[in-house]
Amino acid sequence: MADSILFIMTKPPYGFEEFFAGARASLAMLASGLIGRSTLLLVGDGTLNAVAAQDPAAVKMPSNVEAINDLADFEGEVYCIADDLKSRVGEVTIVEGVKMVSWDKARELVSEHQMITTF
Amino acid sequence: MAKTMVIHLRTGSMMSMDSNVAVKLALAALEKGYDVRMFGYGEGITVIKEGQDPKRFPNVGKELGELAAKGLTIVVCETCCAARGIHRGEEVKGTNIGSLTNHLSKFVKEGDKMVTIAR
Repeated sequence: MADSILFIMTKPPYGFEEFFAGARASLAMLASGLIGRSTLLLVGDGTLNAVAAQDPAAVKMPSNVEAINDLADFEGEVYCIADDLKSRVGEVTIVEGVKMVSWDKARELVSEHQMITTF
Repeated sequence: MAKTMVIHLRTGSMMSMDSNVAVKLALAALEKGYDVRMFGYGEGITVIKEGQDPKRFPNVGKELGELAAKGLTIVVCETCCAARGIHRGEEVKGTNIGSLTNHLSKFVKEGDKMVTIAR
């Protein structure tokens, strides 16, 4: 019996559907009322989903920022590896509510959750 | 009490061996006494489509129907199905079209381990 799930997000935005699909799956866990904690952890290229200056309308795709905001409405947590994002785009403004963390914190998150999946 | 394995499948019935691995894993787990739940998401929903007829490769739909008769619970995402033009009534007997909120969340809640098969 599990009450928590961690979604490790590895794919960049808009070239793939993984982030949107994973965020929606995470939201569904919370919306179901069955799973108490459903968390996103952005790693590697997945950290690019935390960049605030996204313009999905340019590619006619659903907004990953809105997907993050929807999670926040259900008190879903979103973490992003700071070093991974910085190494790709330097210092940028991130989506409100996303917590920038170290790999040490990421390891704690992995330990804290009973189920883990990747997108 | 039997342990429950959740298989989260996100690749389709053809073009890779992922769905074949999912079938073999499910069979092995059933034979070891696990309760096995499989959830198809994204391209993973294609495995339940009735009428698959690969000439030189395993028929994943047929195999899943056989596993369902042995106790496998398999559900795929209805939204993903609709996006791909697959509708209720077109699924292999014993497989089901459902949702993230009603089914994947329940599988996670019931699960002891989750295996994600994706690219």
